[in-house]
Formats: sequence, structure tokens, C-alpha cells
Amino acid sequence: MLKLEQVSKTYGNKNEKAVDDVSFEVNAGEIFGFVGPNGAGKTTTIKMIVSLLAPNSGKIIINGIDNQENILEAKKQFSYVPDSPELFEKIKGLEYLKFMADVYQVPTAARQERIEKYLDIFEIKDAVNDPIGSFSHGMKQKLALVGALIHDPQVFILDEPMVGLDPKASFELKKIMRDHCDRGRSVFFSTHVLDVAEKICDRIAIIKKGKIIEVGTMAEIREKAGSQESLENIFLELTE
Amino acid sequence: MKEIINLTKLFINESLGFSLFFYNRKFNKKEYYKQLFTLIIVPVALIPAFFMYVSLMSATYFGLTMINQTSVFLSIGYIMATVLIIVFGVMYILSEFYFSDNMEELIPLPISPRKLIISKFLSILVFEYIFAAFIFLPILIIYGVGQGMGLFYVLLSFFVFVTIPVLPLSLMTALIMLIMQSTSLKGRKDMLQIIFVFIGIAVIFGVQIWFTSQLGNGDEADFQRIMNTLLTNNEGLLNMIGFAMPTSFLMAWALNKITLMSFVWVIALLGITFLACALMVAIGERVYIKSIVSGKIMKKGKRLSSDERSKALIKKSHGAMAVFTMDLRLLLRTPVYFFNNVSVVIIAPLCVWISFSFIQIPPEDLQGMQDFFREMPVLVNFLLIAFFIFFGGTSATTATTFSREGKASWLTRMIPVTAKDQIMGRTGVAILIQSLGILFTIIAVQSIFPLALSTLLLTIILGILGSLPILLFGLFMDMNRPLLNWDNPQKAIKNNMNVVITLFVGMAYTGLLIGVSGLLGYFVNSILGYGVFVLISAILSFVFYKVINERLESEFLNFES
Ligand SMILES: Nc1ncnc2c1ncn2[C@@H]1O[C@H](COP(=O)(O)OP(=O)(O)OP(=O)(O)O)[C@@H](O)[C@H]1O
Ligand SMILES: [Mg+2]
Repeated sequence: MLKLEQVSKTYGNKNEKAVDDVSFEVNAGEIFGFVGPNGAGKTTTIKMIVSLLAPNSGKIIINGIDNQENILEAKKQFSYVPDSPELFEKIKGLEYLKFMADVYQVPTAARQERIEKYLDIFEIKDAVNDPIGSFSHGMKQKLALVGALIHDPQVFILDEPMVGLDPKASFELKKIMRDHCDRGRSVFFSTHVLDVAEKICDRIAIIKKGKIIEVGTMAEIREKAGSQESLENIFLELTE
Repeated sequence: MKEIINLTKLFINESLGFSLFFYNRKFNKKEYYKQLFTLIIVPVALIPAFFMYVSLMSATYFGLTMINQTSVFLSIGYIMATVLIIVFGVMYILSEFYFSDNMEELIPLPISPRKLIISKFLSILVFEYIFAAFIFLPILIIYGVGQGMGLFYVLLSFFVFVTIPVLPLSLMTALIMLIMQSTSLKGRKDMLQIIFVFIGIAVIFGVQIWFTSQLGNGDEADFQRIMNTLLTNNEGLLNMIGFAMPTSFLMAWALNKITLMSFVWVIALLGITFLACALMVAIGERVYIKSIVSGKIMKKGKRLSSDERSKALIKKSHGAMAVFTMDLRLLLRTPVYFFNNVSVVIIAPLCVWISFSFIQIPPEDLQGMQDFFREMPVLVNFLLIAFFIFFGGTSATTATTFSREGKASWLTRMIPVTAKDQIMGRTGVAILIQSLGILFTIIAVQSIFPLALSTLLLTIILGILGSLPILLFGLFMDMNRPLLNWDNPQKAIKNNMNVVITLFVGMAYTGLLIGVSGLLGYFVNSILGYGVFVLISAILSFVFYKVINERLESEFLNFES
């Protein structure tokens, strides 16, 4: 569903690779967790997947489409919610959602139904007629989530989605992620909350200083580490 | 004191983005050279305008010498500089004091409000001094040289120069602070900003209208006589404006002739300036922090029922239409954008209308002018076309289209919208605004010079077509170097070199295009003139369109690196 092949990226400073030869694959029907210390290269990797940054080398295939050869088609395959979504402050919530529905060409009935459903789940129905500038941080994040779910993407990509959400919302989000995968689609997200990663992810990749140091199911990672410890302990050992 | 200086530096740095500049010098050479290039090219591009201004002022001075009226020269300059400082200052004051986000970080720190206010004021002042240097220094120098003034003049005029931006700005700041804290304006700040700016413009208009009405009945059409009327009545004129700006008297008494009293007047001027500053700080200490702390309230909409929500979602829009709507909404709802990009299409036609209604042209002259125009329609048409292109070129709407989105631009780059739709949507907004300008101009002109429908159609179509290459060029510039990292929408426009570059390139291009095709049309054949015009515009538009269409998607990948 999502495949990275030897992807590398350097910012201005040529000697330091923010992402270094990263390869992994997210299968259909899979929740894939991406963990690593601050500055390890998670956000950079995600931005390359969602066509906000160009990799220096390597290939990214989304649902069979190379995102450097056919950007537009590739963009239709995923939706993305950044770690702290900056949205147009002067635009009203509902105007934003309509915009998203329009650009992804979602049919009328589907957009009405999905928006209604997710607004309900995230409890921001009453705020949708207000300018986004008046939203709280968490409300903005919820709105971005609703906007990202309108076109029911093949790959749902999230950068630290649990930060800033209230307990009810993160519970609902986890349910949505599971449900998404049960319908044969995939979820790819980065997180620092290792408990969450351990509980809901089918597979996990650990990145450190731009390099993938471990990838697999929880069981595989435990086996390699040779211990029955929690992901937290393994993570602390590996990223030492 | 040290704290104030440091804070001032911080504010200036923030509004100019020096840190990024020096960061780039170390870590991002390519970006650094780009910035360095614009830092050099912009002043160079402004030299001709400055040169023109200086020669105009020198000519005015010599004109005044001829009729022995040099005494009004300094006053005219002083009043002009003050008015300009106020008009441009309003935007700076509002954005530095009320629309920049840095206060949220600074208020919790143990810094006294007084220091914050003074440093913010100083950071605005630095820019206004640069501005005043361009406007008022030439006037002081021309007068000084012309009158063969000595050392004392230099000394005294230096002190006068020091006061020139301080006085109007501190009074404006105090006024703005007072109005901004009134509770009835809470939650309506955006609208307020627009109103403010328009009041400023209204003041200029007031002066302007009153100026022209002083010229008499307008039957003396020739310039020399108008000047004479103006200057023989100058006592009344300058006194009138002088009462609005009493310090202009002090300045004139001090500098027109250097006597012992000059020193007294300059000291009085300095004293008044100091008092104005103190007043501003005192008012600020009482109201400023309080009104900031009370929060940026945004007006909320009413709750929608589920039916209303569904209804809002029924209509499906095309990608280009979605981009167009979003771009237009941002433009109309953000005051800074509105002021910079939209207001010109209201103001310029208003100027035309006002000058037509106040300079009363006697019927026989009007008849003569109309006959003259009827005899050479080509020139009139090209004149109109040039004016219409002006609305497309000056608003620089496309030159900031990505920059205006700032940190939210990730959305634009992530969504699957074709380059074609992006171009159409964004250029469409610019054309819509331009069309409004054209419409208002036609309404303003129609009452004096009724134009035939065929003329209107021809000029409107050619006007829009002719500005298309400029609009696309602006889009091209902003695609290549958008300014996204701002915390205050003012910067997306004011610190954006794309605007300046597009403006200059656009003006040069328009001049050339109109010149060449106008001459061809006049001397050779009108059809040839229009033909060349259409051909050049169409080819250039096509080329720019192709280039942008080809590159936009890959340029989107470079916005952040
Ligand atoms: N715009 C940029 N310019 C230069 N370097 C950058 C830029 N963005 C990120 N980096 C660098 O790239 C590396 C990876 O950053 P990235 O944001 O991908 O980390 P992350 O894993 O998302 O961290 P976090 O957990 O803190 O979000 C870091 O060393 C960072 O300093
Ligand atoms: Mg990150």
C-alpha cells in the first residue's frame, strides 16, 4: 500500500542526513506505527510521502503510484494530518470542509454523510460555523482530521495524532484507525506514545538519526531484542 | 535603557527577518544569494523614482523663486511628509502593536509595559526615519542650498528632521490605542483596521478636495495661472492646513530665516514632540497591555442545524473554483490583504471621479476635448487600456498568492489540484479584482466622457488581456520564492520582494507594450496596433502559463527547503 525504497533527505547542511536510506513497506489493512526520538526524521519522512518535500534519492510508492512520477494521482491516494495543523484562520470550519470535499471530488451524498458522522464523533458540530482562528488547538486538530477523512483515503497518514486530543477523541481516533484498516486500507502514523503504538499497531518501525533500526510486528521486535519487555524498554535500549 | 534597545532590535529583526538572513548565509547559500540579490536590486530600482522626486521638488523650488514665494516651500514639504507618515504609519502601528503575535510571549516576562511600548514605538520609528529621509531631507537640502544657508541651518534642520516622524506617529499611536481599547470594538478588530486606513485616506482626500476648491473656478486651465492662484492665496491655504498641524508654523518660523528666535522655535518643537511621546506612553501604560490581554476575540457564527450543514455541502465545485473561492475569501477577510490588493480598485476610480467633479471644465472646453478625442480614438483607447492594466499590475494579487497562505500553505501543496486549476483559480481572483477596478473607472468616467459601447468592449478586453502576462509573471515569482514564514500577515506583503519585482517589471512591460503598439496604431494603422498588442500579450501569457503549468507541482516540493 505504501512503500519506501532507500529514501534519503538532507536539509541545507550537506553532511547530515535527516533521513538516511530508509526503506519499509506498509501493507493493506495494516496500522503502521513510526517511532523514534526527537529529531530522528519522522516528520521529514512523512513530508516526503505526502509530497511536501522532495527526497534527494529513493522512491516512494503509494497504492502502486510513484509519487515522483505522478504526483497528482499519488496525492489522491492518501490524506495527511500534520502534527500541529495550521489552517486558514479566517475561513470557517464548514467552508474548510467543503473545500476539502471539492478538491477530492467527493460526491454530494458521501460528503454530507461523512462530514456529519465525523463532526458528531469529534463533537465539533457547534463550532463549524466559526472562523478557524477561534478554534482551540485540539479543535483545529479535530477539524483537520474530519477534513482528512472526507474522501476515505487509501492511506491515512498522521504525524503525532494523539498530542493535543482529549481522551475521548483519541479513543475515537483509534477506533477510526482500526475501522479504516478493517476495510482493507492502511494507516501510517508517527507517535511518541509507545503504549498506544504497542497496543494498536500491527507493525512498527523505529527510526534513529535518520536510519531505520528496527521494523516488524511487536512479537518480531521482542524476539530480536531477546526480551519480553514493553516497547518502552526496548525503545530506550535501542535508541540509547 | 539597554533592555529597550534590545527589545527594539528584536522587533526590527522580527519584522525584517534578519535572523533567517544570517542563518541562510551560513547554512543555505542559495537562499542567501537570492535574498542578497533582492536587497541590492530593490534600492537600485527605486533610484529613478527618487531622482524624479528630487527633480520635481527642485523645479517647484525654482518656480517659487520666480514669484518670490520660497517661504512656503518648507511648509509644503513638511505637511506632505507628515501626511504621508501618518498614512503609512497607521498600518505599521496597527500591525506592530495589535496584529503581531509577539506580545503573547512577551507579556508573561518581567518587562515593564512602558519598555514594551517604547521599544515597539522605536521599531516603527526606525522605518519612518528612513521614509522621512527620502521625502523630507531633499526638501531641507534644496532649500538650504537655494538660500545659501549656513551651519546653523544645518544644525537646526537636523533637530527638525528628528522630530518629523515622532510627533505624528506618537499622536496616531495614542489615538489608535484609545480606540482599540473601547469595548464596543472587541471582536471586530479586522473591520476596524480597514476603517482606520480608510479614515487616513479620507483625510488626504479632504486636503486634496479642499486644495482643488481653493484653486478657484477652474476656468484658468493653464498651469502657471493655477500655480499663481495657489500661491497668492497661500497665506490662507497654509494657515488652514497649519491649524491642523500647528507645528508646521514652528518649523517654518525656525527655518525660513535663521535668527536668534529660530533656536527658541526649535526648542519648542522638540518640547512639543517630547510631550506627545510622553502622552502616548502614558496612555499606552493605561490601556495597551489591558486591551491585548483581554484577548483576540474572533466573532463567531451562529450554530447551524444539521439541515443547514447539509445544504452548505450540496453544491460540488470544480477544483479551480474551490481554489478561487478560498483565495478570494482570504483576500477579502484579511484586512492587510484587502487594503493592499483590493482597495486600489476603489481608490483610483474615486480619485478620477473626484478630480473630474472638482475641476469644473467649461462646456466649450469639454466639447473641444471630446472632439479632440474623437479625432484620435487610438490614443484614447490605449490610454484607457493602460489605465485598466494598471489595476491588474499594481494590485500584485498573484505575486503574493502563495505567500498569503503562510504556514497553512501545506494544505495547498498537499491536495490533489492540478496546476491548471491552481493557475486559473488564483489568476481568476486577480482578474475579478481588476474587473471591479475597470467597472468603477468606467462609472467614474462615463459621467464626463460618455464612451461608446464598442470602445468599452475593446478596451476592457485588451486591458485584461494585456495584464494577463503581468499576473502570470507575479504567480511565477511567488511560485519560485514564496514568503511563508510569517507571524503577521502584514509581512506576507510588505516584506515580500515579489510584489516590488512584479510591480517594476509590470510597469516597464506595460510602458513598452503600450508604447510600441500605440505608436504603430497611431502612425501606421489602428488594426495593426491592436493586433500587435493582442499578439504580444497572448504569446507571453501562453509562455508563462506553460512554464508555470510545467513547474508548479515540483516547485511545491521546494517551498520548505
Ligand atoms: N526545515 C528544516 N531545515 C533544516 N533542518 C531541518 C528542517 N526540518 C527538520 N530538520 C532537521 O532534520 C532532522 C529530522 O527532523 P524531523 O522533524 O524529521 O524529526 P522528528 O523525528 O519529526 O522529531 P520530533 O519527534 O521532534 O517531531 C532534525 O535533525 C532537524 O534538525
Ligand atoms: Mg516531528
